[in-house]
Amino acid sequence: MDAWRRLKKNRMAIFGMALVIFYSLLSLLAAILPIHSFKHQVLDHQYLPPSLTKTAGELLYERQENTSMDAAKNEGRNELNEKEKEELSVLKQRIENETMVFDGKTVKVHQKRYFLGTDALGRDLLARIIYGGQVSISIGLVGTLTAVLIGLIIGAMAGYLGRSFDYIAMRIVDIMYGLPYMLLVIIFMAIFGRNVINLFLCLALVSWLTLARVVRGQIISLKNSEFVQAARVVGASTGRIVFRHLVPNTLGVVVVFTTLQIPSFILMESFLSYLGLGVQAPLASWGSLVRDGVDGMKSYPWLLFFPGLTMTVFLFSMNFLGDGLRDALDPQSKNRL
Amino acid sequence: MEEAPVASDNNILLDVRGLKVHFPIEKGVILKKIVGHIRAVDGVDFEIRRGETLGLVGESGCGKSTTARAIAQLYEPTAGEIYFEGKDLCKLNKGDLLEARMHMQMIFQDPYASLNPRMTIGDIIAEPLQIYRGRGFLQVSSSDIRKRVEDLLEKVGLSRYFVNRFPHEFSGGQKQRIGIARALALNPKLILADEPVSALDVSIQSQILNLLHDLQEEFGLTYLFIAHDLAVIHHISTRVAVMYLGVIVEIAGSAVLYDDPLHPYTKALLSAVPIPDPEVERTRKRIILEGDVPSPDRERHGCYFYDRCSQRMDICSTNIPHLTEMKPDHRVACFLYFKPS
Amino acid sequence: MQNQEILRVENLKTYFNTDDGIVKAVDGVSFTLNQGETLGIVGESGCGKSVMNLSVMRLIPSPPGKITGGDIFFHGKSVLAMSEDELRDLRGNKISMIFQDPMTSLNPFLRISTQLVETLQLHQGLSKSEAREKAIQMLRMVGIPTPEKRIDAYPHQFSGGMRQRAMIAMALSCNPEILIADEPTTALDVTIQAQILEIIKDLTVKLNTAVILITHDLGVVSGLCNKICVMYAGRIVERGSTADLFRDPKHPYTRGLIRSVPRLDKTSHERLYSIPGTPPNLINVPECCPFHPRCEHTMDICCGKFPEETDFGNEHRTSCWLCSDGGGSGGV
Repeated sequence: MDAWRRLKKNRMAIFGMALVIFYSLLSLLAAILPIHSFKHQVLDHQYLPPSLTKTAGELLYERQENTSMDAAKNEGRNELNEKEKEELSVLKQRIENETMVFDGKTVKVHQKRYFLGTDALGRDLLARIIYGGQVSISIGLVGTLTAVLIGLIIGAMAGYLGRSFDYIAMRIVDIMYGLPYMLLVIIFMAIFGRNVINLFLCLALVSWLTLARVVRGQIISLKNSEFVQAARVVGASTGRIVFRHLVPNTLGVVVVFTTLQIPSFILMESFLSYLGLGVQAPLASWGSLVRDGVDGMKSYPWLLFFPGLTMTVFLFSMNFLGDGLRDALDPQSKNRL
Repeated sequence: MEEAPVASDNNILLDVRGLKVHFPIEKGVILKKIVGHIRAVDGVDFEIRRGETLGLVGESGCGKSTTARAIAQLYEPTAGEIYFEGKDLCKLNKGDLLEARMHMQMIFQDPYASLNPRMTIGDIIAEPLQIYRGRGFLQVSSSDIRKRVEDLLEKVGLSRYFVNRFPHEFSGGQKQRIGIARALALNPKLILADEPVSALDVSIQSQILNLLHDLQEEFGLTYLFIAHDLAVIHHISTRVAVMYLGVIVEIAGSAVLYDDPLHPYTKALLSAVPIPDPEVERTRKRIILEGDVPSPDRERHGCYFYDRCSQRMDICSTNIPHLTEMKPDHRVACFLYFKPS
Repeated sequence: MQNQEILRVENLKTYFNTDDGIVKAVDGVSFTLNQGETLGIVGESGCGKSVMNLSVMRLIPSPPGKITGGDIFFHGKSVLAMSEDELRDLRGNKISMIFQDPMTSLNPFLRISTQLVETLQLHQGLSKSEAREKAIQMLRMVGIPTPEKRIDAYPHQFSGGMRQRAMIAMALSCNPEILIADEPTTALDVTIQAQILEIIKDLTVKLNTAVILITHDLGVVSGLCNKICVMYAGRIVERGSTADLFRDPKHPYTRGLIRSVPRLDKTSHERLYSIPGTPPNLINVPECCPFHPRCEHTMDICCGKFPEETDFGNEHRTSCWLCSDGGGSGGV
């Protein structure tokens, strides 16, 4: 349709879309990508900085060297003494030969490269970010779709049926708008347990409100159109009118809402994880990674920077895409004749 | 004024008696109070015989569209009876009403708004057939329906290969043809045409009018044709009813109404219509009405046309004239022609 | 009657740049308007009449649209070369416009008095009280009852007919030389239309204003205009005095149009004449007679070149290949 054409012209939106697709592919294909596991811990590899070229072993060696040099300098020497040199060569031996068994495979563990560094338990940050992306994106997607489903049905019925149903539904929406939703989520999680399903559910339960209002508005403006009257004249039932005629014509706003709500969900989830109510170890989400990274912010900045950057870029992309979609689907946008 | 009971006259397809449609005006936020009514249709009587075209003409606010929609049961009448083939539509239960609707379809004014932009035109035209098959009124298969849709498209002058296209791919005139095809799908007897050509260009208007004329001959259709363009009404109707402020002020055969209009409003209306001929225009005497078309929100105790009538008399403000037959098949509601009873 | 030329449009071209291509809304239009004349521009939707009208006052929205050729001369001076100040003096003052829908062309947030008085103060340099007096006078002239009270109302408190009258009052308040009326009565009921057309006729005669009336209604031009231009797909296909055009229309489109309009004074229940086909797509129009796909008398040459104008005397001209070989009425 010409909406697609309009979208193609919006470079930011296409850029955003490309990034979103990239992220989604990475998340989907995570299992077959040649990356390390997100949960295997190598305690020796604690807090390794990101490095594109050096292996873990080289970094460990360097670190040991620097520590020894500093100790020597403190004692007034410029050279390493015998004991320190011996420690270094023992380390070198270990680096070249030590192996560990992961999932039945024996691996020369110090030959690994950690492109984005490691965390407190020696886990690869890149892998954790990718797997964390899986969790965050799916929470965003599933949560949003649930909210959309609830909001669409309630909004459509309120808009079409009007009168008491509409009145009651909208008063419920008004009341819920006034409640501090985070508090509700926290209470919900506290009562029903902290697992991912509950996380989806309770986030969805507080997010359907805006969509319900928007859909209701659209339905009200459409329900007296001539094509709806025509449908009634040919004998269509109320259900048919609402779901076959009215709802498909609200898809524009629904799509835009969805793309703009997903980032919102991810942020909510990350906030909950920050509070410790989100995903539990060993699972990671971008939010929990940020939380873990904040503590060591000064000494190990990469632990905060990379997850934060990843999440921010994703949210930006979704927002650009959502804005672009809104302009493309709105036939009265500014550039029309 | 009372006619013979409807059931015995098989020739009359639609008989409307005393139809009133009032919309309440509400004020207030939480506790809504009804402060008045918009009397869109305020007592309308007419009948349509099989095979004829009754033109319903009037200016904005006169209630002609509301009348059509009330007949189609899109609005619930406040009072009155609508006899379709002898049965009062207002008193039917849901099932019987559905059956009656199969024989009475509607064409709408705005070709852009009357087709669902998200459905293919094949689906749009097939919908009535699918609905009635689903309710058990029709025994047809899906391929029957498909074939019928293609036949209908060709009947209205469009190619059968358009079935999978969307409404926005068509021009205004073509969209109106699609609307006509939809109205024909169930093989109705009566078609309510609500300003079907008002939104179209002049050169397309004549195509659609010709199409409606041909379809009427081929299928023996009966039309209630609503428009504000007197020339169009005059051309296509056998009989014409003139509406003002929710009531019919004059009803007569088409030629008779033009040659011999009785009601002052009809005369003014006819003289106001511009004629595309400079010689005629220059020599015409125009009756210019004072004031504006009023809004139908008051209960009236006198003639509805009193405020703008140049020939008003005292009795006109205290008595309401009812449609009375003055000449054969020519009824008018005006005290210039008879005394109040 | 003075025949001084006030407005001359020469080969005007206004194109729009859209997603789908270049729309040649006005593609080489020329006409003149003399003092005291009422010119009717007749055409259906999409023929370019409104765009041409806006072009004359340089009101075309400039990112998509642009006047790409030709010129417009007001009293011999080129409008396209005018500065912003000169244009401001022109619009509303020397050339005034009224539109189809008075609800959207009157500012709904301002009272009628504000809008009228503002125009008068701006263009005629009157003081506020003088301007108000003049405004009330104008409202009375257009037939609005008790204008001293109604002048302070808001547009939504007026009916459609009254709003259009207020628009006319506003347009004529500065005594312009030209009044451009773009489908002024299309949205009005027929009895109100008659009133408005009477007002336009009376006032323009009284104030000696020239009028350009744009409409699709042949009946309206018959009653009001003495000269007509028929437009199709951005070009004028026939022009002439109203009497000539109706008595002996030359172009197949004009003929078709006149024949396909049902007339109140002629009873005929047979089929109407109808022009086959649909109005043209204005995007990427090839060089040809734009009417040829729908013309009953189309010839080979019609697909190749836009016809030259043939003159039938008394300024009755048409662009049609049928008429151009030999002049005089060909065949039909």
